[in-house]
Amino acid sequence: MIGGGILLQIDFIAWLRGIPDWLYEVIRWVYGILYALFTWVWGLFVWIWAVVMDSFWFLFKAILFPGLIFVVLGIIFAVWFTRKTWGRVQARRGPYHMGKYGGLQLFADAIKLVAKETIIPDNAKRWMYRVLPSLLLIAVLIPFAFIPWDNNWFIADLSVSLVLTFAFLTVVPVVSVLAGWTSGSKYTLIGGFRAANNQFAAEIPLIISSVGPAMLAGSLSVMGISQAQANFWYIFLLPVNFVTFMVSATVIVGLVPFDAPVADSEILFGWRTEFTGIYFTMTYFAEFAKQMLFCALMVAMFFGGSYGLPFIPPVLNFIIKFLVMLFFFVIVTSSFFRLRQDQVAHFCWRWLLPLSLLNVVGAMLAIVYIPGLAELLQLGGG
Amino acid sequence: MSVNILDEAVEVWFGPQHVSAHGWATKLTIVGDFIVECDPNAGYFHRSAEKCLEFRDFRQGALIMERLCMLEAFLAEYPYVKAVEKIAALEVPERAKVMRTIMMEASRIHSLQFWWGQFAAELGLFAMLLWPWVDREYFLDSFEELTGSRHAVSYNTPGGVKYDFTEKSVKMLLRALDRIEERIPTFRDMILKSPTFKLRTRNVGTFTAEQGLKWGLSGPNIKACGIPMDLRKDDPDPDLAYNMCDWEVPITHSEKHPGGSDAYDRMVQRFKEIETSISIIRQLLPQVPEGPIVDPKARTKTNRLPAGEAYGRVEGTRGITTLWLKTTDKAQTPYRAKIRGPCFSSYYSLKHLVPGSTFADFIVIFGSLDPYPGWWDR
Amino acid sequence: MGSFRTLGDIFRILRHVLRQVFTRPFTYFYPYEDRYYPDRTRGRHIHIRKNCIACAQCVRVCPTVAIRIDKQDRRYEKDAALYFDYTRCIFCGLCVQACKNNALFHTKVVDLSEGNREDLLYGPDKMETLDREPLKWRGRTFR
Repeated sequence: MIGGGILLQIDFIAWLRGIPDWLYEVIRWVYGILYALFTWVWGLFVWIWAVVMDSFWFLFKAILFPGLIFVVLGIIFAVWFTRKTWGRVQARRGPYHMGKYGGLQLFADAIKLVAKETIIPDNAKRWMYRVLPSLLLIAVLIPFAFIPWDNNWFIADLSVSLVLTFAFLTVVPVVSVLAGWTSGSKYTLIGGFRAANNQFAAEIPLIISSVGPAMLAGSLSVMGISQAQANFWYIFLLPVNFVTFMVSATVIVGLVPFDAPVADSEILFGWRTEFTGIYFTMTYFAEFAKQMLFCALMVAMFFGGSYGLPFIPPVLNFIIKFLVMLFFFVIVTSSFFRLRQDQVAHFCWRWLLPLSLLNVVGAMLAIVYIPGLAELLQLGGG
Repeated sequence: MSVNILDEAVEVWFGPQHVSAHGWATKLTIVGDFIVECDPNAGYFHRSAEKCLEFRDFRQGALIMERLCMLEAFLAEYPYVKAVEKIAALEVPERAKVMRTIMMEASRIHSLQFWWGQFAAELGLFAMLLWPWVDREYFLDSFEELTGSRHAVSYNTPGGVKYDFTEKSVKMLLRALDRIEERIPTFRDMILKSPTFKLRTRNVGTFTAEQGLKWGLSGPNIKACGIPMDLRKDDPDPDLAYNMCDWEVPITHSEKHPGGSDAYDRMVQRFKEIETSISIIRQLLPQVPEGPIVDPKARTKTNRLPAGEAYGRVEGTRGITTLWLKTTDKAQTPYRAKIRGPCFSSYYSLKHLVPGSTFADFIVIFGSLDPYPGWWDR
Repeated sequence: MGSFRTLGDIFRILRHVLRQVFTRPFTYFYPYEDRYYPDRTRGRHIHIRKNCIACAQCVRVCPTVAIRIDKQDRRYEKDAALYFDYTRCIFCGLCVQACKNNALFHTKVVDLSEGNREDLLYGPDKMETLDREPLKWRGRTFR
């Protein structure tokens, strides 16, 4: 009825009086949630930190030195070194404007390439185009984990790391063929086929040449081979194997004189032609990473790894030998004309394979039949 | 494989945007790795030089000719200059004849050095890209000392030459010659004795002398087949001094292909050409007679020419280069000039030469014939 | 034996390449060092207005019509102002050869690069003198 008191379903005044309490409860509820969240995140952080602290050295080695950052900086340095040496071979200086002696040129190049527009051709398969260069780079960077820069500075020492390295490196020509095929151009297709042909030609001499040191050291891990050369470098025992290994490495990496897959003047960069921008940077650096990997493998397998001059730290030993090998690689690959693809295959099967086989067999016979040789050289074991 | 092999043929354009195509587009039909058909298409470098000549004076025309092929600038100007001299009946003084010959041979050496570097780089040897070019710098410095410009020398003019030899320019030319003589053994080691070069160029791009003559090849491409066809000896020009010295036409007798040549022989031939040119220059330099360097009536006579037709030719680095000139009476510019460049026949001979070789050999054959688009596309 | 001769060739090639690596490169550190320019170098021109008689032979003989003459612009009795279009000049030397009054010469200045096209059209004020604004690059001054 109208007039008199107003009938409501709740007691309005009492409700108004109770608002502060209600607000307090709401804020307390929100605070509770936030606190729970915060505790959870903090607990996660504490747990991660504990894990990192437990394997601090491993992570340091895997990421900083001699792991990812070191390898990437090493690739940049290798490219700079190669460009300077190419320049000197051609009676000119390499890059010299950016930074003293052109050191920052590579960084400038990398930044420029990353900032370029990536143009994907219409005929190319887009997702393969994007994924393949990264695959290539990963497949090439992983074997760096097995290289024994020192007795303590290594990332992983598996007992079959040599075989694993070659297994990873087998991915590379497959990726090259795929990249050449999916780029949608005839020139890249030809380049891809030639890359597969290179692998077909040189993989067997490569592996047989690496069997030699593995046999002498009695172990299949790169670390073991490197450590077994404490007294005697294997290059003196297996010189021909070193030469065939180096030549096969040149074929596998695809450098002049065997760079028909990437023949500059015939097929315009082969299977790498259509990559632009960041993808090109990845393929470009993958080439140099492969070169670095083989240089490091050669130092570890034939030149005694970190054993050498006793008064410098062993890591520096390895790095100095590695630089000398890189220099030599660059010189040898600037001195010869490019071979045609069928001539590459012919050369590898006709000359490299028998030579490497003969040297391995000869070494085996020498060890077995010349008495005292095995103890003198302290072979086996490890 | 299907019955008709051409069903699997793929057409690849070795097109104008290619590092080693030098501005020509060739359509290659490829089956597997072998080239089955080759269809040359030129024209991407056309600069209508013949038409430009119709708008230029008789003293300015040589500038256009030398820009057709800057590498052999002295040799390229000569046909035009010779044709004008014939129509205007100019007399070239003795000193100018000898100087012209010397500089033309120097230009030939310079052009061959450029080609060495380019060919070696196309085959993958990047070291040899720049080594001949370093020696080429000495020649260019001597050209600059003599004329004032390294490449676009405007040296030949109707009636003689424009710039006189100075002591310093002769000294620089001799130094350039000494330098290249010093370096030829190195290049021989790096190129002719390189096992990869032999693998790459032997039995590649073989043709017999009869085929070469049928296709219209001339110059080192034919001399490598053993035929001494050289314009300097066959049709000795009274306005040049090739008769004043003692030299033989450089030819190569191929061991593997008697009566023919492959890419290796053409490289050997070009080594011999350079040596011949060096000996000619060395013989002529002490013999330069004194006198004026240009016909004193040249400027007045070349203002307006009488009607006539004339034909000037020269043995260029790549073959016989000719120019046919026609003038109308009292003309200030030519009525028509027709240029024939040697690379015209070299390029079109690829149509017959290339089928049957592999794709990678195409660049070897192409490069060994010393192509230069300026001479065909003009 | 054939293969030993091939090995000998290979070692000789490597020796040549190694020798080249350790010799001084042939290039100049331009623009810090520059090469020798002879006296006859056909660089940019210089116009000496005192000797000019405005005969316009240089204009007539230029194959690319790079010279423009303004006969109304006089400073001495009989001269004229020359406008050189360096986007068209091919440095052939015919104009210098045509001038019989020693008013036009080539100089040794060959680095004429500018930032935009208008700077390359040299008017009479630029034609008479070799001075120009110095170029600052990386903290050093050139030209």
